[in-house]
Order: sequence, then structure tokens, then C-alpha cells
Amino acid sequence: MTQETSNTQREKVTCPETIKLPFMLDFCPLEEGKFTEISQFFQNLKQGKLTTTKCTKCGKLRWPPRILCPDCYSNDFEWVDLGTEGELYAFTEVRIGAPLGMVQDAPFCVGLVKVGNLTVSSRIDNAKFDQLHIGDKLKLKIVELPDGRVFFRFAKP
Amino acid sequence: MRKVAIIGGGATRCGKREATWRDLVQEAGKAMFANVPSLSPKDVDSLFVGAAEPGRFAFLSHVAPLVAECLGIMPRKVLARTELMCASGQAAIRYAWACVASGLSDVAVAFGAEKMYMPDMAEAQTNMSCVLDREWDGVNALSAPPFFAMTAQRHMHEFGTTEEQMAQVCVKNHKYSALNPLAQFPKEVTVTDVMKSLMVAPPLKLLDCSGITDGAAGVVMVPAEDAKKYTDTPMYLIGSGQANIGNNVNNLASLSEWIPLKIAAQEAFQSANITLKDVDIAEVHDCFTISEIMEYEAFGWCEKGKGGKFIEEGQSYIGGKIAVNPRGGLLGCGHPLGATAILQALDVMQQFRGEVPKGRHVQGAEVALTHNLSGPANVHSILVYSR
Repeated sequence: MTQETSNTQREKVTCPETIKLPFMLDFCPLEEGKFTEISQFFQNLKQGKLTTTKCTKCGKLRWPPRILCPDCYSNDFEWVDLGTEGELYAFTEVRIGAPLGMVQDAPFCVGLVKVGNLTVSSRIDNAKFDQLHIGDKLKLKIVELPDGRVFFRFAKP
Repeated sequence: MRKVAIIGGGATRCGKREATWRDLVQEAGKAMFANVPSLSPKDVDSLFVGAAEPGRFAFLSHVAPLVAECLGIMPRKVLARTELMCASGQAAIRYAWACVASGLSDVAVAFGAEKMYMPDMAEAQTNMSCVLDREWDGVNALSAPPFFAMTAQRHMHEFGTTEEQMAQVCVKNHKYSALNPLAQFPKEVTVTDVMKSLMVAPPLKLLDCSGITDGAAGVVMVPAEDAKKYTDTPMYLIGSGQANIGNNVNNLASLSEWIPLKIAAQEAFQSANITLKDVDIAEVHDCFTISEIMEYEAFGWCEKGKGGKFIEEGQSYIGGKIAVNPRGGLLGCGHPLGATAILQALDVMQQFRGEVPKGRHVQGAEVALTHNLSGPANVHSILVYSR
């Protein structure tokens, strides 16, 4: 093929330089009742309470919250306050490979936190990796997003 | 149920490839059919395509018919993409096996492909964050490296496993990948190299982690009774096991012991009518160095908690108690998610055929297993092959 520019029609077209963060790359859950059947979890969280569902039929408490009990298939639940204390079971620090939307936070710690008989994964704030130890006592922390949504983390007191 | 044979296969070179998802498929497809010269693509009645995240990495879905078109296959029995994240390729083999064994299919292709390199690697990392329960784990930036870092931390805490022992897994697997022309990292490394590599998520360093990899591979499966029509050296799929407990990282049976793997292994040995001692080659899922250590324990090559010691003593080298990952593993060869299990199967077949270089050939091997874990090691899948 000839390398010369042909007389074929051409037109410069554009791509947007920036786009709004796409819905599916926004890691935080949609919290309102029109999006989720566990909206109560986020309403409770806004009040400073970490809660989960307990099946009122078989009594099983589970994390994360459910609308169906996988043990007895009941849909009847009550919301249980898990309190504000946790104990660090395992942790690491995300230094490389944070997803988009969290890159600016790196390095940051993440961990598995024992909350009563449940284990909850969470960001671990207020400490660098070297300052954390298995068994550390942690406190619940609420993070507020600019659009009013909330999520939870645990933090070293 | 009919006995099933793999009669041949082929693959791309793995790594950071200057190629699209579709290019990789065509390369691997050509190599696959070239390996079974008496078979025409038109003979294939069923096609399964292991692909973990083509929707995210390549913005492609409905990929099984795309593979069919690229390779001139016109499926008329069963066609599907199979997704089980890091075990997506093994899912393809399992589906193809079930279809051929049941009599539904007479010639099935189990294919796998993944294109993981992207211009912005943060986007590739983001893609991996939807694997671990995105709403409750992914939201906390839990993807594979942080999860396996915590697994390693608990194993070190409970059993005294060391970072040096983990590094030795990488050293072994790179010793073999250095002799594998398909490998992403065909180069030997030392314990010091691993220890000095970049910290990703402590205690895991870059060389404790398998790579981001582009690659594709395929194998052809037929009833055992037809196998000799195509090749003198078929490989037989003689057993399997698969088990799953939980999904959210907080609902696993254990962080430091892979109970589903123990269940799957038992099932695999029982269905193949063999014992652990019969296994000559184990291609296990070393997505991270700690994974292989925990696999020594769960399969039973060593006691619980002694996996670190096992590699330290060199027991998982060829000539040791069991040859683990003589292909070079995911650590040495890369981990193109959907293609990984197919690459393992292909290498086992080449081992049986005596087609691999001397330095990583397991002489006289009769029985091999391949293993893949997926997600937060809540799913374990095993296939058992014989010569």
C-alpha cells in the first residue's frame, strides 16, 4: 500500500477529556431505599451505629446484612447493633495496586476485625502498618462521602 | 459415563503482549489445531471459553461465539463462556469433560483467554476488586494481594512460617519457568531478589505475587475410545474434585487452613481411584508464594503448619517428595486467569509426552494433578490426569 495520504474524506472527531466516575467504578454502595433492600443498614450507620441482620426465626446473626436467611430461608430479620469496639484479627497495608478512586489514599491499612462473634473487613485508619498488631483494640469510625453517603472503617484509638 | 481424553492443544506465549484479546485467541487456536493435524475445526461440536473478566479488561462479552468465529468452529451441541475467576479455565475443562463423558459432545474444545495489560494499570487493579464481594470487601480495597497478605500474616503468626520460606517457592518455580518458552518470566531468581523486590502489601513483595498476564490456550477433548484416531499419546482425565465454602472473606472456614481444598482433594483422589502417593506431578495454584505452602499442607504432602519447612527442605523440587509446579507455576509463567488451567493441562500433556526440556522433565510420570483456587481461596478445583 502507498504511504501517501489519499483524498479519502476525513474529519476530526472528539472524545471527552473527562467523564463522571462511572456508576460501576464507584465502590461505595448505593444506600437509598430505591436502590437497595438493606437501606436500613446505612440509615443506622448515619446515626453512628454499625448494625447487621439477625434472623428472627432461627436466631442466626450474620455479616453482611441479608434479606434471606441462608439457613432457614426466612425473610424476617431484626437489626442488631454491633457496638463500636473491634479487635484486629489480620491486617496489611495497600502500598501498590489500589483501585481507581483509592489510589490517592495509598498507602493505607486494611484488615479483618473481630466484632463480637463476627468478622468484618474494613479499612484500618489512624495507624501505619508498623504500628498495628494482631489483637489491637479498635474503634468504629464513620466516613462521610461528599454526596451524603456514609460508610464505616475501624481506627486505632 | 464415558472416559475422556485430551488429544492435543496449544497456547500463546504469556506475558505483556502486544496483542488484543482477539489476537491472543487466534494465536492459541492456530497452535491448538496444529497439534492435532487430523482434526478440522469443523469437527468440533462444543466449545467452552474460560474467561474471567473480558467485560472489564477488553470490554467484550459474549466471547464464546467470538472465539468460534475466529477459529472457524461452528458449535452445534454446547457453547458457553465459563467464569470462575482464577479457575475459569478449569471450569471450561470441567464443562467440556462433562459434555463428552455424558455423550452429549463427541469433540469439545476447552479454551481460555485473558487480556490483562491495560494502558493504565490502576484500571487493571480496579477490575480485580470486584472479585471479593465488591460491596463489603472490594469497597475496602480488598483484592487478591491484600487478601493473600493477610493469609500469609496469619500463617506466619500461627505456624512460624517465614518470608524467606515463601521466597523459596518463587525461587523454585522460576528455576522451572526459566526452561519454559511460554513463560512470562523465563528467568531464575534468588531469595535475595524476592526479599528485595517492591513491597506490595506486607508481607507480600512483588515476587511473591503472580503477574498480570496476557495469554490464551486451548485443548481438544474426545471420548477415550476415539483418542487414538488423533494421536498415539493422548492424556486421560481420570478424576476431579471441587469444593466451595463461603464467599465474603469474613465467612471463610478458616484463613490459615484451606478446608475446601482438603475436601476437593479427597474427592479428586477417590474419583480417580488413586492415593496421594500415586501423584507424580502437581501443578498447583501458586498465585502467591503463601498459596503453594498452604497447598502442600492441604493436599497432605506435609503436616499442617509445616509447608514452609517443606519448601526449605527442597521437598517440592523434581526429585523431592513431590514435583510441584515443574511448569514454572503461576509465579514463573504468569496468570492469564481464564487460560491458566488450560496451560497447566497442556504442560502436563507435554510432560507425559516427554516434550518438555530436560531440566524440568519429571521422568516416568504416570499421574498428575492440576489445581486452581479462585476468589478468596473459598473455591478449590482439582483435575487428575493420567498418561
